[in-house]
Amino acid sequence: MSDLIICRCEEVSLEDLIETEEKYKCSARELKLRTRAGMGYCGGRTCRPAVDLIVSKLTNEEPTHHLPLKVQPPVRPLTLANLGGLTDEK
Amino acid sequence: MYDVLIVGAGPSGLAAGIASRENGLNVKIIDEFPEAGGRLLGQLHEEPSGEWWNGIKETKKLLDQAEALDVDISCQISVYHIEKLDDSFITHTSEGEFASKTVLIATGAAETAAPIPGWTLPGVMSIGAAQVMTNVHRVRVGNKGIVVGVNVLSAAITRELQLAGVDVHSMALPAMNIVNQDEAHPDKVMENLVRIAHLAPSLFIRFGSNFAKIGLIRKLVVKFFPKKGIKMWDMPIHLRKAVLEINGTDKVESVTMGTVSSTGKLIKGSEVTVPVDFVCIAGGLYPLAELAAVVGCPFRYIDELGGHVPVHNEQMETPISGVYVSGNITGIESAKVARAQGTVAGLSISAALVKKNKKIKKQLNKAIKEVEKTRKDASIQFHPKIDEGREKIHQAFKEA
Repeated sequence: MSDLIICRCEEVSLEDLIETEEKYKCSARELKLRTRAGMGYCGGRTCRPAVDLIVSKLTNEEPTHHLPLKVQPPVRPLTLANLGGLTDEK
Repeated sequence: MYDVLIVGAGPSGLAAGIASRENGLNVKIIDEFPEAGGRLLGQLHEEPSGEWWNGIKETKKLLDQAEALDVDISCQISVYHIEKLDDSFITHTSEGEFASKTVLIATGAAETAAPIPGWTLPGVMSIGAAQVMTNVHRVRVGNKGIVVGVNVLSAAITRELQLAGVDVHSMALPAMNIVNQDEAHPDKVMENLVRIAHLAPSLFIRFGSNFAKIGLIRKLVVKFFPKKGIKMWDMPIHLRKAVLEINGTDKVESVTMGTVSSTGKLIKGSEVTVPVDFVCIAGGLYPLAELAAVVGCPFRYIDELGGHVPVHNEQMETPISGVYVSGNITGIESAKVARAQGTVAGLSISAALVKKNKKIKKQLNKAIKEVEKTRKDASIQFHPKIDEGREKIHQAFKEA
């Protein structure tokens, strides 16, 4: 199979995720930080369920009640002005 | 300060806005889409009764009601954080901050990706995107396409594409891989398809699927599923064919399809190339609950409801005092259920904020019964064990 992209924003492939998991035997969070899967512009809204599933399959862990990847604000893309800067360019 | 700030102007958020405004509350609804209505806007299907469900008309009804009550609705505003203070909330948005006594998170659902090689090519879209383009923006998504993923949602939307005059080659399964397992497993797909049989005007599929409710026979149906697929609305639905790869240099040019066994394994040498210029991927829906997470709601993983859902009770309250949820964020169900839940949430918030609330509490109990009735009568049921899922999440609230 050709290279299958999982996280489109950060262009992380299934192969990248599998190799990283095999090399570091990492948790969901660590896998996210190492590969940047789910950390792009869309905030993980596209690939979150896929990344969660891959991690639980690779680590043989059943999904728990906790969100596997922590959700942190901002949950939408923002301009710096939104965070307290000028509202227009003057 | 607003009495209630509602995030999401879909069926649930609008119904909640109406119910709380009727009780005199100071309400604001915000939505990031350019117009109110949420996913209701895209919906168009025939009910088993023969009546048509037109989401645009249903939206208009809600908006007329909201307007008559002077409900404040702002679109094209994105919420990126909700902060809980002692007795109030600050909602952070792309247009500044809003303070409110309570918040209702009615953000609906997002689509689950079913990644297959080539899915990042231009011309590939989620089935929901195709629905919005077709029914809301009135843009033709392409000349000839294929739908990857056979489920309740994709069958309904494919029918909408057909009604709009878009040529759909067929519906088929996604290639099996680590992410696509159940969606790529013919027997599991058939199990889910049985529930939409009444939407199919083809006697054959109705006949077949009644038998298919029995597990063993269902397996046989899948085993002997016709090679040409079963035609629904003159378009083949394949359960034994999967889209293995989407091909093209700068955009979609074709897909590679192959025959699969009843467990979804590719039969080697069966690959064919089908020329298409668009592909819709349908992996299902999951509750979009990011804001419930950042405000501190506890979650439960409940498969029947579509994944991780914020803990809540029948009154749509979460364990965080002042935070309410309603609609698809609480579990994947039809727009009618979402709307009924919105009414419950609006009444529940009113009962909490209005002092003389005896009458409101009565209305609230009635509204809760209405949700149950709507759920029972739903023509599109996304999960067969939705009641069990609801029971689990309500139990979790009692324990929280």
